[in-house]
Amino acid sequence: MEKYAIYVPRLVTRRENFAPGHRACIGCGEALAVRLACKALGQNIIIANATGCMEIVSSPLPNTTWRVPWIHTLFENTAAVASGIEAGLKVLARKGRILDLDTKVVAIAGDGGTSDIGLQAISGAFERGHNFVYICFDNEAYMNTGIQRSSATPYGAFTTTSPPGKKSIGQVTWKKDMPAIAVAHNIPYVATACHSYPFDLMAKVDKAMATHGPAYVHILSVCPTGWRSPVDLTIKMGRLAVETGVFPLYEVEYGKYRLSVDLPKLRPVTDYLKLQGRFRHLSEDLMNEIQQRTNTEYAKLKEKVG
Amino acid sequence: MVRLTIDERELQAEEGATIFSVARDNNIYIPALCSNEAVAPYGACRLCLVEISSNGRRKLVASCLYPVEEGLVVKTNSERIVNNRRMIMELLLARCPNNKTIQDLARQLGIGETSFKLEDNQCILCALCVRACQEVVDVNAISLVNRGINREVAAPFYEPSDACIGCGSCAYICPVDAINFEDIGDTRYIKWPTSSMEFKLKKCKTCGNYWAPEKQLDYIIKKSNLAPNAFDNCPDCRD
Repeated sequence: MEKYAIYVPRLVTRRENFAPGHRACIGCGEALAVRLACKALGQNIIIANATGCMEIVSSPLPNTTWRVPWIHTLFENTAAVASGIEAGLKVLARKGRILDLDTKVVAIAGDGGTSDIGLQAISGAFERGHNFVYICFDNEAYMNTGIQRSSATPYGAFTTTSPPGKKSIGQVTWKKDMPAIAVAHNIPYVATACHSYPFDLMAKVDKAMATHGPAYVHILSVCPTGWRSPVDLTIKMGRLAVETGVFPLYEVEYGKYRLSVDLPKLRPVTDYLKLQGRFRHLSEDLMNEIQQRTNTEYAKLKEKVG
Repeated sequence: MVRLTIDERELQAEEGATIFSVARDNNIYIPALCSNEAVAPYGACRLCLVEISSNGRRKLVASCLYPVEEGLVVKTNSERIVNNRRMIMELLLARCPNNKTIQDLARQLGIGETSFKLEDNQCILCALCVRACQEVVDVNAISLVNRGINREVAAPFYEPSDACIGCGSCAYICPVDAINFEDIGDTRYIKWPTSSMEFKLKKCKTCGNYWAPEKQLDYIIKKSNLAPNAFDNCPDCRD
Protein backbone atom coordinates (compact mmCIF):
# COMPACT_ATOMS: atom_id res chain seq x y z
CA MET A 1 0.00 0.00 0.00
CA GLU A 2 2.82 2.38 0.84
CA LYS A 3 5.02 1.59 -2.14
CA TYR A 4 2.92 3.35 -4.73
CA ALA A 5 5.67 5.87 -5.59
CA ILE A 6 5.25 8.71 -7.99
CA TYR A 7 2.34 8.01 -10.33
CA VAL A 8 -0.44 7.06 -7.99
CA PRO A 9 -0.26 10.34 -6.00
CA ARG A 10 -1.43 12.08 -9.16
CA LEU A 11 -4.68 10.13 -9.01
CA VAL A 12 -5.65 11.32 -5.54
CA THR A 13 -8.45 13.88 -5.41
CA ARG A 14 -7.29 17.46 -5.74
CA ARG A 15 -10.13 18.90 -3.75
CA GLU A 16 -8.94 20.29 -0.43
CA ASN A 17 -11.64 20.21 2.22
CA PHE A 18 -9.06 21.46 4.69
CA ALA A 19 -8.12 24.58 2.77
CA PRO A 20 -4.68 26.19 2.71
CA GLY A 21 -4.11 29.47 4.52
CA HIS A 22 -4.60 28.20 8.06
CA ARG A 23 -2.30 29.26 10.88
CA ALA A 24 -0.45 26.10 11.78
CA CYS A 25 3.29 26.33 12.53
CA ILE A 26 5.96 25.68 9.95
CA GLY A 27 6.42 21.97 9.41
CA CYS A 28 3.19 21.04 11.20
CA GLY A 29 2.59 17.32 10.81
CA GLU A 30 -0.90 17.54 12.23
CA ALA A 31 -2.12 19.96 9.55
CA LEU A 32 -0.75 17.56 6.95
CA ALA A 33 -2.46 14.62 8.62
CA VAL A 34 -5.80 16.48 8.77
CA ARG A 35 -5.47 17.46 5.12
CA LEU A 36 -4.84 13.86 4.07
CA ALA A 37 -7.63 12.57 6.29
CA CYS A 38 -10.03 15.13 4.79
CA LYS A 39 -9.19 13.89 1.30
CA ALA A 40 -10.28 10.43 2.35
CA LEU A 41 -13.31 11.62 4.34
CA GLY A 42 -14.94 13.30 1.35
CA GLN A 43 -17.73 15.84 1.57
CA ASN A 44 -20.63 13.92 2.97
CA ILE A 45 -19.55 14.42 6.58
CA ILE A 46 -20.09 16.55 9.66
CA ILE A 47 -16.99 17.19 11.76
CA ALA A 48 -17.05 17.73 15.52
CA ASN A 49 -13.66 19.16 16.45
CA ALA A 50 -12.41 19.31 20.02
CA THR A 51 -10.45 22.26 21.30
CA GLY A 52 -6.83 21.94 20.36
CA CYS A 53 -4.26 22.96 17.80
CA MET A 54 -6.44 22.17 14.80
CA GLU A 55 -9.39 24.08 16.14
CA ILE A 56 -7.22 27.11 16.97
CA VAL A 57 -5.35 27.32 13.69
CA SER A 58 -8.30 26.55 11.43
CA SER A 59 -11.01 28.87 12.73
CA PRO A 60 -9.80 32.38 13.55
CA LEU A 61 -13.03 34.42 13.34
CA PRO A 62 -14.25 35.41 10.73
CA ASN A 63 -12.25 32.96 8.66
CA THR A 64 -12.42 29.22 8.39
CA THR A 65 -10.32 26.54 6.79
CA TRP A 66 -13.08 23.97 6.64
CA ARG A 67 -15.05 23.33 3.46
CA VAL A 68 -17.29 20.81 5.20
CA PRO A 69 -19.81 21.29 8.03
CA TRP A 70 -17.75 21.76 11.17
CA ILE A 71 -18.59 22.32 14.81
CA HIS A 72 -16.22 23.26 17.60
CA THR A 73 -16.73 21.38 20.83
CA LEU A 74 -15.08 21.44 24.21
CA PHE A 75 -12.22 19.16 25.18
CA GLU A 76 -14.35 16.73 27.13
CA ASN A 77 -17.42 16.24 24.98
CA THR A 78 -16.33 15.72 21.37
CA ALA A 79 -17.50 12.13 21.26
CA ALA A 80 -20.72 13.09 23.06
CA VAL A 81 -21.46 15.85 20.54
CA ALA A 82 -20.68 13.48 17.67
CA SER A 83 -23.07 10.88 19.08
CA GLY A 84 -25.70 13.60 19.45
CA ILE A 85 -25.33 14.68 15.84
CA GLU A 86 -25.50 11.07 14.67
CA ALA A 87 -28.64 10.41 16.71
CA GLY A 88 -30.15 13.69 15.45
CA LEU A 89 -29.50 12.80 11.82
CA LYS A 90 -31.19 9.45 12.34
CA VAL A 91 -34.28 11.08 13.82
CA LEU A 92 -34.49 13.72 11.07
CA ALA A 93 -34.18 11.00 8.41
CA ARG A 94 -36.87 8.91 10.11
CA LYS A 95 -39.23 11.90 10.21
CA GLY A 96 -38.52 12.57 6.56
CA ARG A 97 -37.12 16.04 7.22
CA ILE A 98 -33.84 15.26 5.45
CA LEU A 99 -32.90 12.76 2.79
CA ASP A 100 -31.17 9.72 4.19
CA LEU A 101 -27.83 10.16 2.47
CA ASP A 102 -25.59 8.28 4.89
CA THR A 103 -23.93 11.42 6.17
CA LYS A 104 -21.09 10.29 8.40
CA VAL A 105 -20.23 12.02 11.65
CA VAL A 106 -16.53 12.47 12.30
CA ALA A 107 -15.08 13.48 15.65
CA ILE A 108 -11.53 14.79 15.63
CA ALA A 109 -9.43 15.66 18.63
CA GLY A 110 -5.87 15.88 19.81
CA ASP A 111 -4.22 13.49 22.22
CA GLY A 112 -5.29 15.59 25.23
CA GLY A 113 -8.91 15.69 24.09
CA THR A 114 -8.83 11.95 23.49
CA SER A 115 -6.74 10.20 26.10
CA ASP A 116 -7.03 12.70 29.00
CA ILE A 117 -10.06 14.93 29.10
CA GLY A 118 -12.41 13.32 26.59
CA LEU A 119 -11.80 9.71 27.56
CA GLN A 120 -15.08 9.02 29.30
CA ALA A 121 -17.13 10.58 26.50
CA ILE A 122 -15.30 8.52 23.87
CA SER A 123 -15.70 5.39 25.96
CA GLY A 124 -19.41 6.04 26.25
CA ALA A 125 -19.83 6.66 22.53
CA PHE A 126 -17.94 3.44 21.68
CA GLU A 127 -20.00 1.50 24.15
CA ARG A 128 -23.30 2.81 22.77
CA GLY A 129 -22.12 1.84 19.30
CA HIS A 130 -22.80 5.06 17.42
CA ASN A 131 -22.05 5.02 13.71
CA PHE A 132 -19.18 7.52 13.70
CA VAL A 133 -15.47 7.87 13.08
CA TYR A 134 -13.19 9.15 15.81
CA ILE A 135 -9.81 10.42 14.66
CA CYS A 136 -7.16 11.31 17.22
CA PHE A 137 -4.31 13.49 16.01
CA ASP A 138 -1.61 12.68 18.51
CA ASN A 139 1.21 15.19 18.82
CA GLU A 140 2.12 13.93 22.27
CA ALA A 141 1.41 17.00 24.44
CA TYR A 142 -0.86 20.05 24.79
CA MET A 143 0.99 22.01 22.12
CA ASN A 144 -1.22 25.04 21.48
CA THR A 145 -1.28 26.14 25.11
CA GLY A 146 2.50 25.88 25.42
CA ILE A 147 3.64 22.26 25.49
CA GLN A 148 2.14 20.87 28.68
CA ARG A 149 2.39 17.14 29.27
CA SER A 150 -0.51 14.84 28.48
CA SER A 151 -0.91 11.14 29.12
CA ALA A 152 0.23 10.54 25.54
CA THR A 153 3.61 12.18 26.13
CA PRO A 154 6.36 9.58 25.83
CA TYR A 155 8.68 8.60 28.68
CA GLY A 156 11.57 10.97 29.27
CA ALA A 157 10.27 13.77 27.06
CA PHE A 158 10.67 17.40 27.99
CA THR A 159 7.51 19.46 28.35
CA THR A 160 6.99 22.70 30.27
CA THR A 161 5.20 20.77 33.02
CA SER A 162 7.68 17.91 33.05
CA PRO A 163 10.97 19.82 32.91
CA PRO A 164 14.14 17.75 33.08
CA GLY A 165 16.77 18.72 35.61
CA LYS A 166 18.91 17.34 38.41
CA LYS A 167 15.99 15.63 40.13
CA SER A 168 13.81 14.94 37.08
CA ILE A 169 14.20 13.04 33.84
CA GLY A 170 11.30 14.81 32.14
CA GLN A 171 8.06 12.88 31.67
CA VAL A 172 8.10 10.05 34.21
CA THR A 173 5.22 7.95 32.84
CA TRP A 174 4.97 5.86 29.69
CA LYS A 175 2.73 6.83 26.80
CA LYS A 176 -0.87 5.75 27.29
CA ASP A 177 -1.82 3.05 24.79
CA MET A 178 -4.97 4.68 23.47
CA PRO A 179 -5.54 2.33 20.49
CA ALA A 180 -5.50 -0.61 22.94
CA ILE A 181 -8.18 1.13 25.02
CA ALA A 182 -10.26 1.52 21.85
CA VAL A 183 -9.70 -2.16 20.95
CA ALA A 184 -10.85 -3.10 24.45
CA HIS A 185 -14.27 -1.63 23.62
CA ASN A 186 -14.67 -4.32 20.95
CA ILE A 187 -15.46 -1.80 18.25
CA PRO A 188 -15.36 -2.87 14.59
CA TYR A 189 -12.31 -0.90 13.48
CA VAL A 190 -9.23 0.53 15.17
CA ALA A 191 -6.10 1.67 13.35
CA THR A 192 -2.91 3.63 13.89
CA ALA A 193 -1.53 5.81 11.11
CA CYS A 194 1.07 8.46 10.46
CA HIS A 195 1.18 11.34 7.98
CA SER A 196 4.56 10.10 6.71
CA TYR A 197 2.72 7.13 5.19
CA PRO A 198 0.02 9.06 3.28
CA PHE A 199 -1.58 6.20 1.34
CA ASP A 200 -1.73 4.03 4.39
CA LEU A 201 -3.38 6.90 6.28
CA MET A 202 -5.93 7.56 3.56
CA ALA A 203 -6.74 3.87 3.18
CA LYS A 204 -7.31 3.55 6.90
CA VAL A 205 -9.57 6.62 7.08
CA ASP A 206 -11.43 5.21 4.06
CA LYS A 207 -11.92 1.91 5.86
CA ALA A 208 -13.08 3.71 8.99
CA MET A 209 -15.63 5.59 6.88
CA ALA A 210 -16.90 2.36 5.36
CA THR A 211 -17.26 0.74 8.77
CA HIS A 212 -20.76 0.59 10.19
CA GLY A 213 -20.44 1.43 13.85
CA PRO A 214 -17.73 3.19 15.80
CA ALA A 215 -14.27 3.37 14.25
CA TYR A 216 -11.13 4.78 15.82
CA VAL A 217 -8.03 6.01 13.98
CA HIS A 218 -5.02 7.15 15.98
CA ILE A 219 -2.68 9.31 13.90
CA LEU A 220 0.79 10.24 15.10
CA SER A 221 1.38 13.86 14.09
CA VAL A 222 4.90 15.23 14.34
CA CYS A 223 5.06 18.64 16.03
CA PRO A 224 8.40 20.36 15.39
CA THR A 225 7.49 23.19 17.78
CA GLY A 226 6.83 20.97 20.76
CA TRP A 227 9.25 18.19 19.93
CA ARG A 228 12.03 20.72 19.43
CA SER A 229 12.94 19.08 16.12
CA PRO A 230 14.00 20.65 12.81
CA VAL A 231 10.99 21.79 10.80
CA ASP A 232 12.25 20.18 7.61
CA LEU A 233 12.39 16.71 9.16
CA THR A 234 8.67 16.30 9.89
CA ILE A 235 8.19 13.49 7.37
CA LYS A 236 11.44 11.77 8.27
CA MET A 237 10.54 11.93 11.96
CA GLY A 238 7.24 10.17 11.31
CA ARG A 239 8.94 7.46 9.29
CA LEU A 240 11.58 7.00 11.99
CA ALA A 241 8.89 6.66 14.64
CA VAL A 242 7.48 3.77 12.65
CA GLU A 243 10.79 2.21 11.62
CA THR A 244 12.16 2.21 15.16
CA GLY A 245 9.01 0.56 16.46
CA VAL A 246 8.14 3.47 18.74
CA PHE A 247 4.84 3.92 16.91
CA PRO A 248 4.02 0.77 14.93
CA LEU A 249 1.32 1.01 12.26
CA TYR A 250 -1.38 -1.60 12.54
CA GLU A 251 -5.10 -2.05 12.20
CA VAL A 252 -7.57 -4.10 14.18
CA GLU A 253 -10.70 -5.30 12.41
CA TYR A 254 -13.18 -6.98 14.73
CA GLY A 255 -10.36 -7.88 17.09
CA LYS A 256 -8.06 -9.22 14.38
CA TYR A 257 -4.67 -7.51 14.31
CA ARG A 258 -2.73 -6.81 11.12
CA LEU A 259 0.59 -4.97 10.77
CA SER A 260 0.48 -2.37 7.98
CA VAL A 261 4.21 -1.75 7.72
CA ASP A 262 5.98 -4.98 8.54
CA LEU A 263 9.68 -4.33 8.90
CA PRO A 264 12.19 -7.16 8.82
CA LYS A 265 14.37 -5.35 11.34
CA LEU A 266 13.74 -2.36 13.62
CA ARG A 267 16.09 0.58 13.73
CA PRO A 268 17.58 1.54 17.10
CA VAL A 269 15.38 4.08 18.91
CA THR A 270 18.34 6.45 19.27
CA ASP A 271 17.94 7.27 15.54
CA TYR A 272 14.58 8.75 16.46
CA LEU A 273 15.35 10.22 19.90
CA LYS A 274 18.61 11.97 18.96
CA LEU A 275 16.87 14.17 16.37
CA GLN A 276 14.55 15.71 18.94
CA GLY A 277 15.40 18.46 21.40
CA ARG A 278 12.83 17.16 23.87
CA PHE A 279 14.99 14.06 24.44
CA ARG A 280 18.29 15.99 24.47
CA HIS A 281 18.88 15.44 28.20
CA LEU A 282 18.44 11.65 28.12
CA SER A 283 21.35 9.61 29.41
CA GLU A 284 22.59 6.38 27.83
CA ASP A 285 20.80 4.37 30.53
CA LEU A 286 17.47 6.02 29.91
CA MET A 287 17.80 5.48 26.17
CA ASN A 288 18.48 1.81 26.83
CA GLU A 289 15.42 1.68 29.03
CA ILE A 290 13.32 3.17 26.23
CA GLN A 291 14.83 0.68 23.76
CA GLN A 292 13.96 -2.21 26.09
CA ARG A 293 10.40 -1.02 26.51
CA THR A 294 9.97 -0.45 22.76
CA ASN A 295 11.21 -3.99 22.06
CA THR A 296 8.83 -5.53 24.58
CA GLU A 297 5.86 -3.54 23.30
CA TYR A 298 6.67 -4.44 19.71
CA ALA A 299 7.05 -8.11 20.61
CA LYS A 300 3.67 -7.97 22.34
CA LEU A 301 2.11 -6.47 19.24
CA LYS A 302 3.75 -9.10 17.02
CA GLU A 303 2.27 -11.77 19.25
CA LYS A 304 -1.20 -10.28 18.83
CA VAL A 305 -0.74 -10.22 15.06
CA GLY A 306 0.18 -13.88 15.25
CA MET B 1 -19.36 32.58 -15.67
CA VAL B 2 -22.45 30.60 -16.56
CA ARG B 3 -25.66 30.43 -14.55
CA LEU B 4 -27.54 27.19 -14.35
CA THR B 5 -30.05 25.40 -12.14
CA ILE B 6 -29.41 21.98 -10.67
CA ASP B 7 -32.21 20.42 -8.64
CA GLU B 8 -33.85 23.84 -8.22
CA ARG B 9 -30.64 25.35 -6.86
CA GLU B 10 -29.32 28.32 -8.83
CA LEU B 11 -25.59 27.97 -9.28
CA GLN B 12 -22.76 29.73 -11.02
CA ALA B 13 -20.07 27.79 -12.79
CA GLU B 14 -16.95 28.29 -14.84
CA GLU B 15 -17.42 28.03 -18.56
CA GLY B 16 -16.29 24.64 -19.83
CA ALA B 17 -16.96 22.83 -16.56
CA THR B 18 -19.11 19.73 -16.76
CA ILE B 19 -22.45 19.32 -15.00
CA PHE B 20 -20.92 16.53 -12.92
CA SER B 21 -18.03 18.61 -11.58
CA VAL B 22 -20.31 21.57 -10.81
CA ALA B 23 -22.73 19.31 -8.94
CA ARG B 24 -19.93 17.70 -6.97
CA ASP B 25 -18.46 21.08 -6.02
CA ASN B 26 -21.86 22.11 -4.69
CA ASN B 27 -22.45 18.92 -2.73
CA ILE B 28 -25.12 17.57 -5.06
CA TYR B 29 -24.70 13.82 -5.20
CA ILE B 30 -24.64 12.09 -8.57
CA PRO B 31 -23.55 8.44 -8.52
CA ALA B 32 -20.67 7.59 -10.82
CA LEU B 33 -18.00 4.94 -11.16
CA CYS B 34 -15.84 5.90 -14.11
CA SER B 35 -14.82 9.44 -13.21
CA ASN B 36 -11.54 10.68 -11.81
CA GLU B 37 -10.15 14.20 -11.96
CA ALA B 38 -6.76 12.96 -13.10
CA VAL B 39 -8.02 11.63 -16.42
CA ALA B 40 -10.31 13.03 -19.10
CA PRO B 41 -14.03 12.24 -18.77
CA TYR B 42 -15.10 9.20 -20.73
CA GLY B 43 -18.75 8.44 -20.06
CA ALA B 44 -18.48 4.67 -19.69
CA CYS B 45 -20.55 3.77 -16.66
CA ARG B 46 -23.61 5.92 -17.54
CA LEU B 47 -24.64 6.10 -13.90
CA CYS B 48 -24.23 9.87 -13.88
CA LEU B 49 -27.17 10.39 -16.26
CA VAL B 50 -29.10 13.58 -15.61
CA GLU B 51 -32.11 15.16 -17.28
CA ILE B 52 -31.52 18.54 -18.84
CA SER B 53 -33.99 20.95 -20.35
CA SER B 54 -33.07 23.93 -22.44
CA ASN B 55 -35.29 25.72 -24.95
CA GLY B 56 -38.20 23.50 -23.99
CA ARG B 57 -36.47 20.23 -24.94
CA ARG B 58 -35.73 17.59 -22.38
CA LYS B 59 -33.20 14.84 -22.74
CA LEU B 60 -30.95 12.52 -20.78
CA VAL B 61 -27.21 13.16 -20.93
CA ALA B 62 -24.14 11.84 -19.15
CA SER B 63 -23.33 14.66 -16.74
CA CYS B 64 -19.60 13.88 -16.72
CA LEU B 65 -19.35 14.79 -20.41
CA TYR B 66 -21.92 17.55 -20.78
CA PRO B 67 -20.53 21.09 -20.45
CA VAL B 68 -22.62 23.65 -18.59
CA GLU B 69 -24.62 26.17 -20.59
CA GLU B 70 -26.29 29.46 -19.75
CA GLY B 71 -29.80 28.88 -18.42
CA LEU B 72 -29.49 25.09 -18.32
CA VAL B 73 -31.99 23.39 -16.02
CA VAL B 74 -30.72 20.08 -14.65
CA LYS B 75 -32.55 17.46 -12.67
CA THR B 76 -30.54 14.70 -11.00
CA ASN B 77 -33.37 12.79 -9.41
CA SER B 78 -36.49 12.84 -11.60
CA GLU B 79 -38.50 9.68 -12.04
CA ARG B 80 -37.16 9.14 -15.55
CA ILE B 81 -33.55 9.30 -14.31
CA VAL B 82 -34.19 7.08 -11.34
CA ASN B 83 -35.72 4.44 -13.61
CA ASN B 84 -32.86 4.65 -16.11
CA ARG B 85 -30.27 4.56 -13.38
CA ARG B 86 -31.88 1.51 -11.81
CA MET B 87 -31.81 -0.27 -15.16
CA ILE B 88 -28.12 0.53 -15.65
CA MET B 89 -27.39 -0.58 -12.12
CA GLU B 90 -29.26 -3.84 -12.66
CA LEU B 91 -27.19 -4.51 -15.76
CA LEU B 92 -24.00 -3.78 -13.87
CA LEU B 93 -25.13 -6.03 -11.06
CA ALA B 94 -25.84 -8.81 -13.54
CA ARG B 95 -22.35 -8.40 -14.94
CA CYS B 96 -20.56 -8.27 -11.55
CA PRO B 97 -22.87 -9.95 -9.01
CA ASN B 98 -20.00 -10.75 -6.64
CA ASN B 99 -18.39 -7.33 -6.56
CA LYS B 100 -18.74 -5.56 -3.23
CA THR B 101 -18.67 -1.99 -4.57
CA ILE B 102 -21.35 -2.81 -7.12
CA GLN B 103 -23.46 -4.58 -4.49
CA ASP B 104 -23.21 -1.60 -2.13
CA LEU B 105 -24.09 0.90 -4.84
CA ALA B 106 -27.01 -1.24 -5.98
CA ARG B 107 -28.31 -1.40 -2.43
CA GLN B 108 -27.95 2.35 -2.14
CA LEU B 109 -30.06 2.78 -5.29
CA GLY B 110 -32.64 0.39 -3.87
CA ILE B 111 -31.90 -2.70 -5.97
CA GLY B 112 -31.77 -6.05 -4.26
CA GLU B 113 -31.79 -8.44 -7.17
CA THR B 114 -31.36 -8.20 -10.89
CA SER B 115 -33.68 -9.82 -13.37
CA PHE B 116 -30.94 -10.41 -15.94
CA LYS B 117 -28.81 -13.48 -16.42
CA LEU B 118 -25.92 -13.43 -13.98
CA GLU B 119 -22.35 -13.43 -15.19
CA ASP B 120 -19.23 -13.66 -13.08
CA ASN B 121 -17.07 -10.66 -13.81
CA GLN B 122 -15.25 -8.23 -11.58
CA CYS B 123 -14.43 -5.61 -14.22
CA ILE B 124 -17.08 -3.11 -15.37
CA LEU B 125 -15.03 -1.95 -18.40
CA CYS B 126 -14.95 1.68 -17.33
CA ALA B 127 -11.40 1.90 -18.71
CA LEU B 128 -10.14 4.03 -15.84
CA CYS B 129 -7.06 1.78 -15.59
CA VAL B 130 -6.41 2.05 -19.30
CA ARG B 131 -6.84 5.82 -19.24
CA ALA B 132 -4.61 6.25 -16.19
CA CYS B 133 -1.92 4.09 -17.82
CA GLN B 134 -2.12 6.23 -20.93
CA GLU B 135 -2.70 9.74 -19.61
CA VAL B 136 -0.98 9.73 -16.21
CA VAL B 137 1.81 7.17 -16.42
CA ASP B 138 2.23 7.40 -20.20
CA VAL B 139 3.31 3.80 -20.82
CA ASN B 140 0.20 2.29 -22.50
CA ALA B 141 0.80 -1.13 -21.01
CA ILE B 142 -2.84 -2.22 -20.99
CA SER B 143 -5.75 -1.47 -23.27
CA LEU B 144 -9.30 -2.52 -24.08
CA VAL B 145 -9.27 -5.39 -26.55
CA ASN B 146 -11.98 -7.07 -28.68
CA ARG B 147 -15.46 -5.74 -29.30
CA GLY B 148 -18.97 -6.04 -28.03
CA ILE B 149 -19.57 -8.75 -25.49
CA ASN B 150 -15.95 -9.93 -25.77
CA ARG B 151 -14.48 -6.59 -24.74
CA GLU B 152 -11.98 -6.75 -21.89
CA VAL B 153 -8.95 -5.10 -20.36
CA ALA B 154 -5.72 -6.82 -21.30
CA ALA B 155 -2.08 -6.40 -22.17
CA PRO B 156 -1.21 -6.90 -25.85
CA PHE B 157 -1.81 -10.52 -26.94
CA TYR B 158 -2.69 -11.43 -23.34
CA GLU B 159 1.01 -11.77 -22.61
CA PRO B 160 3.03 -10.15 -19.83
CA SER B 161 3.60 -6.62 -21.03
CA ASP B 162 7.11 -5.30 -21.60
CA ALA B 163 5.90 -1.76 -21.23
CA CYS B 164 4.34 -2.21 -17.79
CA ILE B 165 6.46 -0.70 -15.02
CA GLY B 166 4.42 -2.06 -12.11
CA CYS B 167 3.50 1.31 -10.64
CA GLY B 168 0.09 0.13 -9.43
CA SER B 169 -1.87 3.11 -10.78
CA CYS B 170 -4.41 0.80 -12.42
CA ALA B 171 -5.03 -1.03 -9.15
CA TYR B 172 -5.38 2.21 -7.20
CA ILE B 173 -7.74 3.91 -9.64
CA CYS B 174 -10.00 0.88 -10.21
CA PRO B 175 -13.40 1.85 -8.75
CA VAL B 176 -14.50 -1.75 -8.18
CA ASP B 177 -11.20 -3.26 -6.98
CA ALA B 178 -10.99 -5.67 -9.88
CA ILE B 179 -7.20 -5.41 -10.01
CA ASN B 180 -5.18 -6.99 -7.24
CA PHE B 181 -1.95 -5.44 -6.10
CA GLU B 182 0.28 -6.96 -3.49
CA ASP B 183 3.90 -6.81 -2.37
CA ILE B 184 5.17 -10.02 -0.82
CA GLY B 185 8.84 -10.10 0.11
CA ASP B 186 10.92 -9.11 -2.91
CA THR B 187 8.15 -9.47 -5.48
CA ARG B 188 5.18 -7.36 -6.47
CA TYR B 189 2.17 -9.16 -7.87
CA ILE B 190 -0.36 -7.33 -10.02
CA LYS B 191 -3.34 -9.35 -11.15
CA TRP B 192 -5.68 -8.07 -13.83
CA PRO B 193 -8.89 -9.95 -14.67
CA THR B 194 -7.25 -11.47 -17.76
CA SER B 195 -3.59 -11.81 -16.83
CA SER B 196 -1.07 -11.26 -14.10
CA MET B 197 2.52 -10.09 -13.78
CA GLU B 198 5.33 -10.24 -11.26
CA PHE B 199 7.87 -7.51 -10.66
CA LYS B 200 11.17 -7.72 -8.89
CA LEU B 201 11.49 -5.10 -6.17
CA LYS B 202 14.65 -3.15 -5.59
CA LYS B 203 16.54 -3.65 -2.37
CA CYS B 204 17.80 -0.56 -0.55
CA LYS B 205 21.59 -0.57 -0.23
CA THR B 206 21.52 0.84 3.30
CA CYS B 207 18.54 -0.61 5.16
CA GLY B 208 17.87 -3.65 3.01
CA ASN B 209 14.12 -3.05 2.64
CA TYR B 210 12.45 -3.72 -0.68
CA TRP B 211 10.86 -0.48 -1.78
CA ALA B 212 9.96 -0.16 -5.50
CA PRO B 213 9.89 -2.23 -8.69
CA GLU B 214 13.18 -2.12 -10.57
CA LYS B 215 11.41 -1.53 -13.88
CA GLN B 216 9.67 1.55 -12.53
CA LEU B 217 12.91 3.03 -11.22
CA ASP B 218 14.63 2.38 -14.56
CA TYR B 219 11.74 4.09 -16.30
CA ILE B 220 11.97 7.16 -14.05
CA ILE B 221 15.76 7.32 -14.48
CA LYS B 222 15.37 7.20 -18.25
CA LYS B 223 12.55 9.69 -18.33
CA SER B 224 14.17 12.26 -16.02
CA ASN B 225 17.77 11.73 -17.12
CA LEU B 226 19.03 10.78 -13.67
CA ALA B 227 22.27 9.07 -12.76
CA PRO B 228 21.98 5.24 -12.95
CA ASN B 229 22.64 4.96 -9.19
CA ALA B 230 20.04 7.61 -8.25
CA PHE B 231 17.76 5.04 -6.60
CA ASP B 232 20.26 2.82 -4.82
CA ASN B 233 18.87 3.97 -1.48
CA CYS B 234 15.22 4.06 -0.47
CA PRO B 235 13.63 7.45 0.35
CA ASP B 236 14.22 6.87 4.07
CA CYS B 237 17.95 6.27 3.65
CA ARG B 238 18.50 8.90 0.98
CA ASP B 239 20.24 12.07 2.16
